[in-house]
Amino acid sequence: MLRTGGKSTSVVSGGRKKVHTTFDDGSEMVEEYDAKTNELLVRKRRTRTVLGKENDWEYIVGDAPQTFNPDSTLMKESTQNPCFSRKDSKVNFEWRVRNLPYPPSTYDVSIDHNDGKIVIRTSNKKYYKRIDVPEMKVLGAPLEDSCLQWKHANNTLIVSYRKPEEALKADQEDQKFIKQAKTSTGGADMDLDNPEGCKQQ
Amino acid sequence: MAMQQFGKDESGAGIKVNEVHDLTRIERIGAHSHIRGLGLDDSLDARAVSQGMVGQNNARRSAGVILSMIREGKIAGRAVLLAGQPGTGKTAIAMGMAKALGEETPFAMMAASEIFSLEMNKTEALTQAFRKAIGVRIKEETEIIEGEVVEIEIDKPATQGAAAKTGKLTLKTTEMETIYDLGTKMIESLTKEKVSAGDVVAIDKASGKITKLGRSFARSRDFDAMGPQTKFVQCPEGELQKRKEVVHVVTLHEIDVINSRTQGFLALFAGDTGEIRTEVREQIDLKVAEWREEGKAEIVPGVLFIDEVHMLDIECFSFLNRALENDMAPVLVVATNRGITKIRGTNYRSPHGIPIDLLDRLLIIATQPYSEKEIRLILDIRCEEEDVEMTDDAKELLTKIGHETSLRYAIQLITASSLVALKRKSAEVEVEDVSRVYTMFVDIKRSTQFLIEYQDQFMFNEVPMAEADEADSMED
Repeated sequence: MLRTGGKSTSVVSGGRKKVHTTFDDGSEMVEEYDAKTNELLVRKRRTRTVLGKENDWEYIVGDAPQTFNPDSTLMKESTQNPCFSRKDSKVNFEWRVRNLPYPPSTYDVSIDHNDGKIVIRTSNKKYYKRIDVPEMKVLGAPLEDSCLQWKHANNTLIVSYRKPEEALKADQEDQKFIKQAKTSTGGADMDLDNPEGCKQQ
Repeated sequence: MAMQQFGKDESGAGIKVNEVHDLTRIERIGAHSHIRGLGLDDSLDARAVSQGMVGQNNARRSAGVILSMIREGKIAGRAVLLAGQPGTGKTAIAMGMAKALGEETPFAMMAASEIFSLEMNKTEALTQAFRKAIGVRIKEETEIIEGEVVEIEIDKPATQGAAAKTGKLTLKTTEMETIYDLGTKMIESLTKEKVSAGDVVAIDKASGKITKLGRSFARSRDFDAMGPQTKFVQCPEGELQKRKEVVHVVTLHEIDVINSRTQGFLALFAGDTGEIRTEVREQIDLKVAEWREEGKAEIVPGVLFIDEVHMLDIECFSFLNRALENDMAPVLVVATNRGITKIRGTNYRSPHGIPIDLLDRLLIIATQPYSEKEIRLILDIRCEEEDVEMTDDAKELLTKIGHETSLRYAIQLITASSLVALKRKSAEVEVEDVSRVYTMFVDIKRSTQFLIEYQDQFMFNEVPMAEADEADSMED
């Protein structure tokens, strides 16, 4: 549903079906689905600044690759920190914060209705996160407290939000699109960020 | 050697003490490093000695008028010529203008010979220079990391140069705390800015620029040595990483570079940008015009300074004629030390080596040779700038030398004579040191005199001139 208004092309490479969407304002979105199960693995967006410079990829679903080269990287969050990622299930939007060793009583997960974001707080002031749910913004539906759930186990905090009816419908549409999307294997002109799909020579 | 402390523990028990070798670097001193402005008062009158400027009252006053024209920002396509003998402060006046305009106004400086490159044609180089001198003030969203420093830890490898320095920075807000791994560049700028635990900083994520916002209130009770300018601020709230709108000035050339390649911003660091296609420029001009209409952006016309302008050739001059008529043209300041000479690329002679049609568009500011008194004042300033102690007698002698030979020669003798003084273990430069270097290094006049006398003992004088000419004509 985040694809509306853009032009999409797709390719299969490395066991993943990749969909690349460009929008009129120069921003782009890349989605990666498992080629067999059509499960969404990565969804990232990139916008351009006013001057036309490309911003960094914003990972909506999946993990950003972690690279750190002391010569060229300015600064990067250390691996000691809690790490945040999103991986939806069929019926829920789900976010995981790994590497959070504090007891469950530390956490407070709530919805900030002013700007429609899910907020994670910790009573020891070690972790804080405001989670944006772009799907709900597109649907124009407000977040509801009753749909929100969270649990903490194995140093991981899992926050889930039950998908509304409209989102489930949109997911089905998405799946339909993915199944019928024309895909060439290892297309030459479209290797997104994975050079292994590029068959030169 | 400087010692610096990093540490979280105020009690003093766990403080790490690092020896920092590269904290203070001795900087090289440029020829115009002492100039901080034009040295004018509010009514645009030149103060005798101010902001590193001495003498040239008329020229400075006219430069001041031009400056206020630029500040108004209404005029475009004006050009100014600074004309005068070598060593009369033309470049100094241009530098003074740049300093007086401040950081906001773009000031592009180039020597005319820079446009002769094998990789780029002349007009492209000139166009780029023009576009470097026009700024666009625009609002942009940037990602910043804003928080209070909890701890900085910088580890140095045991042996110098064996491996890169590594470091960690812990930042916090009222809600959270995050540890960052630091790259070498970041470590360098953190040490340069002298960031320590308790400071509240904002770091631009893309450029790595650090802004110290102040000290945290929580640290206000520390028994710390602090200046009166120390500002206390609240610890930031919410998430460490924020998006903020900032208004800044970018030059048209920077926008060109960003849009001329897919990975545009890398080219900014690579330096070499190559040629930029006209279509890209046209698109950007359209975009900028659109922004202006919508009130999103504002044009900040700046100054383009071309030194040694007589080195431009006739094509460049005619290009300038045309470019100055554009409504987006910056104020052009050119300087030359030539009198009536050949225009490059032609056989015509013209004042300053500039064609009459272009000269007609220029406001000409003339600089006069310095008087003995002014030379003395300049030498005083330079002595201070180069950190040289000199007795009055020695300065007197140097002034005389400067008056009879050239100012540049006299300035060059400052450091040379201070080295000689150091050799004989004296902290002050005295007359004997100056006369010593005066005999060691010849000036132009003495050198020319020497050459005239001993010309025939140098190379290629085996055959007398007249004979050589005859031989040449025989060959033809």
